[in-house]
Amino acid sequence: MTETNALSGRSWRSTALYAVLVLLVVFYLLPLWTGLVTSIKADVLATAPFLPPAPAGFTSVHWTRAVNALAGGLVNSLILAIPATILSALLGSMAAYGLTTLDWRYQVPILMLFIAGIFIPYQAVLIPLSKFWASVVPVSDLVGYVGLAGWVGDLVGLILSHVAYGIPICTLLFRTYYKDFNEEMIEAARLDGATTHTIYRRIILPLSVPMFAVTLIYQFTQVWNDLLFALVLVGPGAGAPVTVPLSQLGASLSEVGFGIRMAGAFVAALPTIIVYVLFGDQFAEGVST
Amino acid sequence: MARLELDDITKHFDDDGETIVAVDDASIDIEDGEFLVLVGPSGCGKSTTLRMIAGLETITDGELRIGGRRVNEAKPRDRDIAMVFQSYALYPHMTVRENMSFGLEESTDLSGSEIDERVESATDTMGISDLLDRKPSELSGGQQQRVALGRAIVREPEVFLMDEPLSNLDAKLRAQMRTELQRLQEDLDTTTVYVTHDQTEAMTMGDRIAILNDGLLQQVATPLEAYHAPANQFVAGFIGEPSMNFFDVDLEGDSVVGDGLDYPVSDDVRAKLDTDALVLGIRPQDIELVEEVESGHDVAVTVDVVEPMGDENNVYLRLPDSPAGETFIANVDGRTLVDEGDDIVARIPEEAVHFFDRRSGEALRNREFDDEADVDLSL
Repeated sequence: MTETNALSGRSWRSTALYAVLVLLVVFYLLPLWTGLVTSIKADVLATAPFLPPAPAGFTSVHWTRAVNALAGGLVNSLILAIPATILSALLGSMAAYGLTTLDWRYQVPILMLFIAGIFIPYQAVLIPLSKFWASVVPVSDLVGYVGLAGWVGDLVGLILSHVAYGIPICTLLFRTYYKDFNEEMIEAARLDGATTHTIYRRIILPLSVPMFAVTLIYQFTQVWNDLLFALVLVGPGAGAPVTVPLSQLGASLSEVGFGIRMAGAFVAALPTIIVYVLFGDQFAEGVST
Repeated sequence: MARLELDDITKHFDDDGETIVAVDDASIDIEDGEFLVLVGPSGCGKSTTLRMIAGLETITDGELRIGGRRVNEAKPRDRDIAMVFQSYALYPHMTVRENMSFGLEESTDLSGSEIDERVESATDTMGISDLLDRKPSELSGGQQQRVALGRAIVREPEVFLMDEPLSNLDAKLRAQMRTELQRLQEDLDTTTVYVTHDQTEAMTMGDRIAILNDGLLQQVATPLEAYHAPANQFVAGFIGEPSMNFFDVDLEGDSVVGDGLDYPVSDDVRAKLDTDALVLGIRPQDIELVEEVESGHDVAVTVDVVEPMGDENNVYLRLPDSPAGETFIANVDGRTLVDEGDDIVARIPEEAVHFFDRRSGEALRNREFDDEADVDLSL
């Protein structure tokens, strides 16, 4: 009797567990699903929000219009996010190496500065930052000397800003990772004749791959999704990253463009999903270490 | 190959403004091709000494010379040394071949084929030729140990430094690697400094052993000398398994008295005792168990615990007046049958007795041993 009770108790528990899991899946996927079906409806009010359109009510016009409206922004975002991500991850890893594996004075105060950098609210630096790129280092004028349009300069400023604000968190992530490295291994490399530089290149860097996946995904998503810096430092126009035209998508039309907004959101989010898929395995490995 | 000289080497660490002396005025001359074992309890400064030789720690004071050249300020890479670490410290992302060629690539101008040749001959020596393309994670502990050694010998350095290289191996493999290391060092004839806390390794492997305690060098001697003629009470207690038994005694006329002992000493021995406050030391192996008291050197005791080891027994003995738990050990033949609670007699032969100054710990009288000449030869 007790055995069957225990058995039914266990199966009841796992049933409940699966029910909760299914509910959570629905909860997370419902907005995406609703967005997806809305983006392919000719008349968004024809059926309930989460139901797909009738075959006659299907349209791909929102998608083509969204892609057309966002194509330039997508390219700009790639030009922005790829170098900004790679640079902040690489510089963060170098900084972490210098602050963790090497031994020198004043490491701690400098590390404190880095940590403090993580907590700087972006809103607080918006005005000084835009002044900096406008007056102190006027990048949009500077690129004019080599015959480039002003928006290229704005984009360069935006890239450097993201690199600067991304380095602290990347440094911290790499530092946690490097702290677990076997100190004797680094010493062995020093005795083997490797210099500080070759130790980084031949030992530290190859062993950092999982953590690079973590920082690349994290930083890419951060930079890609940023609207605040993009709006203030570049603004609408030829250099605008995708988040800027996305925020205006649909609003400029006479109707309330739910369909095109939903399609636009998917178009804009696609690259981050691709990055997750590409680096996902490495990411899991990096997070678990 | 080179002579390695430590001249008044001192290391101070700074701990929140307080100075900690890790190594104090250590002077050791290590001959070309010699195998020197640095031994001591943990925290005694042996690893720090080794790391100073390697250049991983700065030297606070004194001079370090390799082949007559002062290397205090030289970077590790410029000292022509190779080190084997306790954790093996292999590069996990490289194959065995890459691990072993890394040092040659970084520190020499050898061509690729010359490097390959040297790596292959080193792997032959270590018997790991079939592992060349494996990564460290695919190797057993013993194999990793061999790779770590191979990585050191492929460099063909002037000096090998080894920091407890066998302590991560199981007992059987450790004994096997011990002999193998000795044979290897003899073949290569490279000056070697070997750090361990294991006195068996110290006794069996070293040409000479240097015993450190609290940053102070206690004695540098051949293993047999350290065993039979320890410089002080610390060395006497550290070298030898089980440890030497000590009794606090005072010289009173013709005898030393204390700790329940009343032990007569001969004139020869007494002449060497220049103080009254003494410690009497006797190795467990030198104590005999007999049936009856026949002379003043026989002491009636009670058997407390017997540890049978097969070939020998460690018998814990208690003097009649000493409190429970306060025992001394006799190491006797495994076929000697004694039981807990037996009343028995321990014979402490005078020729095997050591005396130490109780305050300074300095040895005043060491046991007699016949083959003193033999020991001197190996110096």
